[in-house]
Parts: sequence; structure tokens; C-alpha cells
Amino acid sequence: MSVATSLFLAFFGIAAVWFGIVVFRTHSMVRSAIALLFSQTAIGAMFLVMQAEFLGVLQIMMMATEMSVMAIFMVMFMMDPGGMGKMDMTHQKRLSLWAAGIGLVAALAVIWGAGWQGPVPEVPGADEQARMLGRELLGRSMFIFESAALMILTAMIAATMVAIAPREEENP
Amino acid sequence: MIWLALTLLAPLGAALAVFGLRRAPGVIALAGAGLGLLGAFGLFARAAGGAEVTATLPFLPDLPILLVAGPLTATLALVVATVAAMVLLYATGYMAHDPEKLRFFGTMLMFVAAMELLVLSGDWITLLAAWELIGFASYLLIGFWYSREGVPGAAMRAFLYTRTADLGLYIAAFLLIGLAGTSEISATLATAGTPALIAGLLLLFAAMGKSAQVPMQDWLMRAMAGPTPVSALLHSATLVAAGAILLIRTAPMLPDGALLAVGLVGGVTAVVAGLMALAAGDLKRLLAASTASQYGLMLVALGAGAPVAALLHLIAHAAIKSALFLGAGVFQHDRDSTDLEALAGAGRARPGIFAGFALAALALAGLPPMAAFFSKDAILAAALDSPFAVWLLPLALLGSVLTGAYMARALRVLWTGAPGKAADPAPLMSAGMGVLVALAATLGFGFKPLEAMLSAHLPEPAWIIPAMGLAVGLAGLALGWVLAPARLLGPLLRPASEGFVIAGGMQALVARPALALAAACERFEQRLLAAVMAIGRINLSIGVGARRMDKDTIDAAIFGLVDRAIALGARARRLQSGFIHREMALTFAGIALVVGVLLVTPLYL
Amino acid sequence: MIPELVIALSIGAALFGVGLYGALSQTNLVMIIMGVELVLAAALVNMVAFWRYLHPDVTAAKMFVLIVMAVMAVEMAVGFGIAIARFRSRGSVEMEEARELKG
Repeated sequence: MSVATSLFLAFFGIAAVWFGIVVFRTHSMVRSAIALLFSQTAIGAMFLVMQAEFLGVLQIMMMATEMSVMAIFMVMFMMDPGGMGKMDMTHQKRLSLWAAGIGLVAALAVIWGAGWQGPVPEVPGADEQARMLGRELLGRSMFIFESAALMILTAMIAATMVAIAPREEENP
Repeated sequence: MIWLALTLLAPLGAALAVFGLRRAPGVIALAGAGLGLLGAFGLFARAAGGAEVTATLPFLPDLPILLVAGPLTATLALVVATVAAMVLLYATGYMAHDPEKLRFFGTMLMFVAAMELLVLSGDWITLLAAWELIGFASYLLIGFWYSREGVPGAAMRAFLYTRTADLGLYIAAFLLIGLAGTSEISATLATAGTPALIAGLLLLFAAMGKSAQVPMQDWLMRAMAGPTPVSALLHSATLVAAGAILLIRTAPMLPDGALLAVGLVGGVTAVVAGLMALAAGDLKRLLAASTASQYGLMLVALGAGAPVAALLHLIAHAAIKSALFLGAGVFQHDRDSTDLEALAGAGRARPGIFAGFALAALALAGLPPMAAFFSKDAILAAALDSPFAVWLLPLALLGSVLTGAYMARALRVLWTGAPGKAADPAPLMSAGMGVLVALAATLGFGFKPLEAMLSAHLPEPAWIIPAMGLAVGLAGLALGWVLAPARLLGPLLRPASEGFVIAGGMQALVARPALALAAACERFEQRLLAAVMAIGRINLSIGVGARRMDKDTIDAAIFGLVDRAIALGARARRLQSGFIHREMALTFAGIALVVGVLLVTPLYL
Repeated sequence: MIPELVIALSIGAALFGVGLYGALSQTNLVMIIMGVELVLAAALVNMVAFWRYLHPDVTAAKMFVLIVMAVMAVEMAVGFGIAIARFRSRGSVEMEEARELKG
């Protein structure tokens, strides 16, 4: 059982990482967006492998939509969406590589250095999890839920406000 | 007590009144002198009655001011007051046309007050103070006509020479005070032995200066540059008497060695000054040299051990010499000069004055029955009886001969010659002189009672003494009348007329070194001033340097700090590039730092 | 030593690194947002892994995940709104040209 999960985790994980790298290496903007989509989907698959079914499905659904929207925006804003020009659109590459490298190494050090103690407890079934999540959501974490809702509402309004074109004054 | 106050304060008050009111100086002076005379009479009367008036005034601790009016001091006070009154009476006429009358009378009155203080002082400190005051007054009065050529120098020289001699008095006084423990003069006279000898010699030194004895007779010659009343009062009867008065008062203390020195000095002076008088070309200088000579005779009497004889001669001489000077002043008014050549025949124009002058001159020569006859006899008798007779008697006799000689010479010059124009009557001058001439003639009869009052009887001299005295007096008169000084003196004429200058005289021995010392002190003081200024400048430069350092270092530090802070800010500004990617990179670095710190902290805390 | 946990966390670390690289090195705003998405996704992976292998009974962990997802969405929305505004005013969303906040 654990060997299978490990293999699946590894597979999806590596897929996610590989697609993530593709996002930034490809010159085509649309391919970037699609690669990100695949990366997020792989992450969602990882969630499914780790028996967080609700979260996994949510992730895949959300990310699919988001990435599509992002693809549209890409096309809107990029000067070379197809990537035919093959321009280098990066700056401070060395600094970024170093920062990423340091972050990666530090995290790996912590992960491999910490002694994770087993055994792994059992996970309840999917519908049991859903039920518990619903209870949690509408019970103890209602306040958080509501606050999150307010936050999303505010963000929607804000985004709309920012995106609306400024009205020009009519000359009398 | 009141007599004491009158004697001292009347002249002083009159002096202040003259300087304060600035009007009628003659009247005020006469009033002051008259009141002082009254006071002196009162004191004399009290003393004659046997009482001794004393007064003590507080001064330094253990050194009060003592005033004593005993027989001796009251007599001297009376002498001073009388001569002062007569001379001031004379001066109202003499100085009638002088524009500086105020200063003259004020200073004269001040002198009279100081001289009375001197004779009445009972302790050394007062005596010293009065000594200095009369010296100062003498300086002011000799240099009275300071705008005339040679006068300021003469006053300065006189002051310098007498001041040098005053050192002796200072040292002697402090020696005596230190030994006796008190400053009272009568108490210190008990000193004996070597200190007494030393003190005696020092006092002799001071007396030599004040009384113009050899070798310090020169200053008296120079002092003749002052007005004639000054010469009459100061330089014949009172100031020069101070030296003799000092020795008379301390006579009980002087041991034999000091007495011998006193006698010798007096004798030599009597002869040398007499020669100078004979060779003098100026009437006042003749009289000045005569004064020195007569005081020499008084010192001979002291040296012979008879201070009373000296006192008697002092009193007689005071009246005689002041009368002679007053007469010379009248002749000076007539001929506007005191040169003997200019005065030839001046006596003929004023027979009255000349008669008085002649009477005084004969009195000085020692003719009976006038005062100096008795006193000179007393001196000769004392000289004969003294242990040092072999020295003193010849000198005294020679001095008497010379006295007659130069007085006769003066009379001859005044009489022989053209009388000149008719003289204006001078009532005040004549009155003043007349009283003194009368005193000169008649004082002799008061000597016996005086001796009784002083309880110091002189032994009756053997007949040889008056005979000797008369003989030498007449011989001197004859010689002086008949022979010219050049014939009399022969080879001594040149040195005599120059004042017997030896080794450059006082000029080289005293005046030049003193003035050179003063100049050296001035130069030293200039250098001190320069040094102080240099120190001041150093301090100033230190201050300036400190301020500059403050400006450079402190201000530089502060402003440097400011500049560096601004520079640091400018560099820090580069963080705010405005680029999002930079901001994000910094954010990541910051987060990494915080995480690192959070992870590390539990290990060390 | 729980192998699955270690694998999952390592994947998360790798995603974090890639996302950070992208966020710091891209000039376009949209690409930067994509990088940030990857970083947040890495955080999600970590959170789910910890829930699954260490505390499966704690439902609040899933709450956390939900909140982070909401934040991701919101951030994208607002970010794209800004991008539109920027595009309208400047004509491009290149961050190399955005120096207005330089101090």
C-alpha cells in the first residue's frame, strides 16, 4: 500500500515540478498557461493520492478554470503570445536562481534532517471526511468561513473597480 | 593739652585753610603761625613750671604715637614757633608780588606743623614720620620756582642726598626699637654697649645728612635756589637743626666712640664749611656754608659731652642766622640777585636793615653781650674739658676764626660800593627781621634760667675761655675785613669755591648711582611688562587655538557625521528601486533571515 | 521516517523553488502571478501532506487549505484587475518599466 502511494506521489510530484519548469522555460505564453494548468492538475492528483478527495477535486476544478482565464489574459497582455520572437523575458536570473536554490536546499535540509516519527494514523473514509468537513465548516469555523466570504466579496468589488476604465468628463 | 593741640594743629589747620579757601594766604598763615606760637608759649610755660605735658595717640599695636613736651622739647618747640612766626611775617612782604603765594604759604605752614611734630615726638615712629615730612616739605619749597633753570635739579639733588642719609636713621631707629622692645625714645636711651655704638654712628650719619655736615654739605648750597624765607626758616633754624636735635636728644645714650666721631665730624665741618663760606661768591651760599659750619661747632660740643652747650648754640644760631637770611632777602629784593658783586654797596641804601644785619653778624662772630658769645664760650669750654680736647679745641678755634672772617667779608662787601637807587620801605620784612635781631642780641641773658629749667648747669668757664673766644672772634673779623679771600685762602681758594669736591663728590657717589639704579629698575619693569604681555598673548593664542580646534574638530566631527548620514541615506535609497522583482527578492531575503533567527534562537537561549 | 511524507514535502520544496525562481526572474506581471501560484500550490502540498501523515483527525487543517485556495483565487483576481488598469494606462505590463515608486 505505501509503496504504491509513494510511487504515485513521486510520479505526480515530478510531473508537477516538470510542468512548473516548463512554465518558465517556454517562449510561448499559451504554452506557459497550459503547462501551469497541468502542473496544478498534477498537484490535485497528489491530493487525491493522499486521500484528501474533496481537496483534490476542488483543486483540479478551480485550477482548470483559473488557468483558462489566465490564458486569456496572457494573450491580452503579452506582446508576443505565441513566442515566435524568442525574446529573453527575464531579469536578475542569477539572483533568482540563487534565491530558489537556497530556499530549496534549506527546505530539503529541514525535511531530510527532521526525524518524522511514525506510525501513520488511519484516515477516515471520503464521505466521513466530507461530513466532518461540513460540520467543521458550519460549526466551529463558521467565523472563518464568513470572513473568507467577505474577503472574496471585497476582492471581487475591488478587482472590478480597478479594472473598470476611468470615465472621461464631458466638456460643457 | 590744649597748648599741645594749638602748637601742632594751628599751623596744620592754617595750611588746610590756605589750600582750601584759596584766598588771603598771608593773613591765614600769620594767624596759624601766631596761634602756634601761642601754643608753644603755653607749653614752655608749663615746662618751665616743672610739668611735663604728654599725649598718647593710638597707632600701630604696641607702637602708639607719643607726644612729649618736657623742658627740652618745649624749648625747641618755642624756638621753632618763634622763628616760623617771624619768617612768615617777613614772607608776607617778600612774597607780596609772587603769583604762587598760595602754594608757598600752604607748604610753609605744612612744614611748620611737621617740624613741631618732630620736636615734640616722644617715640621713634612719629619722629621718623615727621623727619620724612620735613624732608618732603623742603623738596617742595626748594623747588618752589620750578620753572626756573636749575631749580628742579637742585631740589631733587637735595632730596636725594638727605634721603640717602636718612637710611642711617631708619636702621638706627629699628635697631633701638628692636632692642628696647618699645618705640618710646626715652626708653630706648637706656641701650648700652655695642648696639649703642652702632646706633650712635648711624644716627650721626643721619644727622650728617640733615645738618649738612661734611661730606654732605653740598645739598645745602644747592638748597639756596629756593626763596629766601625758605632759606631763613628751613635751612638755618629748623630743618638743618633736626640733625643736631636728634643727637642732642640721644646724647645720653652715645658711648665714647660715637662721641669722638661726632666731635671729629663736627670739627672738620666747622673748618671746611668755614673755608667754603670764605670763598663763596654768593651771599646766600656764604650764609649756607656758615650754617653748616655752625652746626659743626654744635656737634663739637656734643662730641665733647656737653649737649646743653649745643642746645644753647642752636637757639642762638636760629635767631641769628634767620635774621641774616632775612636781611639778605631784603638786599636780594633791591638788587634782584644774591651775587656778592651785585650786592656791593646794597647796605648803604638801607641803613636800618644793614644795622640789623651787622648786629647779627657780630653776634655770630661771638661778641658779647650777645647770645652766641655765651654759647660759643660754652662750646670752647666743653671742648677744652673733653677727653678729646687735643682734636676738638683747635678745630673749634679755627672754626670761630673763620666765622668772624667770612662775616666781616660779607659786611665789607655790603658796605663798600655805590648805594644804588633809593629803596622802597618794607615794613613787614623789617618787622620780621627786627624781632629776630632783637632776640639774637638779647637771648644770651636767658641762658642761665634756661639751664636751670633744663636742670643741666654748665660749669662757669675759666677766664681763659672767654678770652680765647673773644680773641679769635675779633681776629677773624679783622682778617675778613682787611684781607681779600684770595689772599687768606691762598691755594685753597679753588677747592673751597667748588665745595671741596672729592672723588666726584656727592654727584658721583650718590646722585649718579641712585639715578642709574632708578633707570635700571625702569628697564627691568619694562621687561616685566613685556613678559606679562607675552604671557597674555600666549594665553590669547591658546584661546584662539582652542576655538579653532573646537571649530575644526568638533564642528568637523558633527558635520562629518551629518554628511555621512546623508551619504548612508543616499546609498540606502538604492534599495527603493521601485522594481517589484527587487522588492520580492528583498522580501525573500528578509523572510529567510527571520526564519533563520527563529530556528537558531532556541539553541542558544 | 515516513517515506511518503518525505516525498511529498520534497515535491513541495521543489515547487517552491521553481515558483520562487519564476516570481523573481520574470518581467511580465502575469508570469510573476503564475510564479506566485506555484509557490502557494507548494504550500498546499505541504499542508495536505502534514494533515495526511501526521494529524488526519484534525479537520481544521483542511479548513486552512480551503482558505489558502480562496486566497489564491482572490489574489489572481485582484492582480489581473491591476494588470488591466496598468495595461490601459501604459500599454504594457512589463515590470521593467514600472519605476514610479522609486524612492
